[in-house]
Amino acid sequence: MKLKMTRLQILGLKTHLVPVVRTLHRLDCVQIDDIAEAEGLSARPLHLDRDMVQAQEELGYLVARVEGLLSTLGADRVEPGALRVALAADEIASTECAGEARAALDTLGPQIQALVSRREALAAEQASLPRYESTLRRLLPIVPPTARDPANLSIGVLVSRIHLSVLDSVAERVLNLTGGRAEIVAEDVDAVTRAMLIVVPRDFAAEVEVLLGREDISRLRLPAGFADQPPDAAVAALHRRIAAIPSELVEIEAELTRRAAEWRPRLTWWRACLRNQLEEFAILTHFGETDQTFVLVGWTPERDAARLQKALAEAVGDSVVVQSQPLTHASALAKRAPVALANPAPARPFQSLVQLLALPRYEGIDPTLLMAIFLPIFFGMILGDVGYGALLLLLCLYWLRRSRQVGTSRDLVWVLAMGSVWSIVFGFLYGEVFGTLGEHLGLHAIWLDRSSADQVAGLLLFTVAVGAAHVTLGLVLGVWEAARERSKHLLLERGGMLVGLIGLFLIVSVAVKWLPAGFMTPGVAVLIVGIALLGASLGWLGVLMGPIEFIGLVGNILSYLRIAAIGLASVYLARVANDLAGSLGNIVVGVVVAVLIHALNFALGAFSPTIHSLRLHYVEFFRKFYEGGGRPFEPFKSQVTSGE
Amino acid sequence: MDATGLVAIGAGLAVGLAAIGTGLAQGRIGSAGVGAVAEKRELLGLVILLIAIPETMVILGFAVAAMVLLLGGGLGG
Repeated sequence: MKLKMTRLQILGLKTHLVPVVRTLHRLDCVQIDDIAEAEGLSARPLHLDRDMVQAQEELGYLVARVEGLLSTLGADRVEPGALRVALAADEIASTECAGEARAALDTLGPQIQALVSRREALAAEQASLPRYESTLRRLLPIVPPTARDPANLSIGVLVSRIHLSVLDSVAERVLNLTGGRAEIVAEDVDAVTRAMLIVVPRDFAAEVEVLLGREDISRLRLPAGFADQPPDAAVAALHRRIAAIPSELVEIEAELTRRAAEWRPRLTWWRACLRNQLEEFAILTHFGETDQTFVLVGWTPERDAARLQKALAEAVGDSVVVQSQPLTHASALAKRAPVALANPAPARPFQSLVQLLALPRYEGIDPTLLMAIFLPIFFGMILGDVGYGALLLLLCLYWLRRSRQVGTSRDLVWVLAMGSVWSIVFGFLYGEVFGTLGEHLGLHAIWLDRSSADQVAGLLLFTVAVGAAHVTLGLVLGVWEAARERSKHLLLERGGMLVGLIGLFLIVSVAVKWLPAGFMTPGVAVLIVGIALLGASLGWLGVLMGPIEFIGLVGNILSYLRIAAIGLASVYLARVANDLAGSLGNIVVGVVVAVLIHALNFALGAFSPTIHSLRLHYVEFFRKFYEGGGRPFEPFKSQVTSGE
Repeated sequence: MDATGLVAIGAGLAVGLAAIGTGLAQGRIGSAGVGAVAEKRELLGLVILLIAIPETMVILGFAVAAMVLLLGGGLGG
């Protein structure tokens, strides 16, 4: 079923524009169309003035800042629904969220940024200091005593071992430069690097630096605070610093976590609130205006029209005019109306399946209820096993209870759960528990034993009969739809199929002696009339295409044989599992083999009947009457109210 | 080989050959369909429908096999 829609036209003074937009946003029941697409209106598209554009840009900047802070605090995945618990009522009611957010961001932002920068610096230290420490430790055993003399300076250099000759050359030139007053030691740091420590009097420091720079030799430069110390003191200081970093990091993380817990609800609230205000600006581009007034066109469900009138009257009094225009079937307006499906709760999961194909048109039939009735039955007819059905039902109920996932996945599990109930019902009718195990448990077929060869014919006939009934129902709906649409072409096509099918039923009934032979001639005549009508709908090609289309219709009915075919495959796979397990002679191996094959059968049994039942609906049933292409109803919706 | 064996072979061929045809068709439609869905997610329903269409062949093959078995006495053996 679909909600009945009303076409809306709202006019008011520009001075009331903001409260009207806020009210519509809060109500969450009006879809606003672009004024440029509305026919018969002379209003021009609303132009945002300079102040409004500036306010919109400021809001966008604020949202980006709030989002950045939430992301930094690792708190950007909070459900808006938690807000009511976390915030006091007066905070929720506040409309000054932009001002509040700006003030808070100005103080909180720099504090958080400082903490994050400190954390990054500590992480960098944590990564680099151990490398300095290990290099210096390797040099310590060979550090000359003169290195501890405050009058001397220690200079470390690192050279790749493939350039060792450079070290010798540098050492010689340093000794020449200082007149032999330098001490030079070297040690391998790792497999590819050799370190050299040059101890020179501080008077020669600048000249040695120039020499090293000229030779392009990289210095071992210790971080600030460690550089001016003798090597052994620097190593001890590095060690103390490395040991202290983790506790500082923990302190910073704890502070960030505390800040996140403290500010998350407010930041999330401000984000939602600011986004709302941005949406209110964005929707204004859909409005129209004259010099003094604004106008908007849109849609609302008929049931919400009175609520909308009342809310607008409360917000701005009687200075806003709301014109409602109810829709009549097949009118030009109805063809443009958006579609909102509203089925009873048990059928609602099937809406996703219908929309997977296409959303119905506003003036067309919504097949959700029909699908909710037939699809689980077909599923049950195919799987038809008490054991598999009960297991699937338990798994579905467990998932539904534990998972918080919503949307198509949840809908599919609901559909499976309903199908599994029918599977249990048909399991009793077929006398099946994990295939043939039912017999051993004393369960016998109430109606039809699928594993019995002499009952297969009955099963096949039953599924064809189900197909005939389902396709006929589709055609009846199609004829009704064509009559409502006043479409001669569709009426001829679907009516011809229906009449031809009635003729075919008469002929088959005579053939199986359900009807006396006298019905044969009328049956043939009705069949020919039906094919002729079908052919007439196809133009001059109908002479050829009419009979072919009718054969296709018969193929559609035979397609329901898949209910028997896939069901039989499942029965025989279960039988293989049981018989193979029984013939192995070892109870443990037998149970393992049986469980494995039953698991495979169960997985196929959950997947295959769903796909095939869907296909029977999409291809065989819907194509007789269903036309998709509807436009979804997308009301102007507040994030804050919808999130709670 | 007795008649029952020939009936069984005939039924097997009816389903098997139809299944090969269906598989070939579904393989081509499926690969094109997945490409289409990757570009446009909302085509999923239509693609499922298109992939499902050739299944009618194997179901008709099954119908023929069932008729061969039922009329030829293959199930009774």
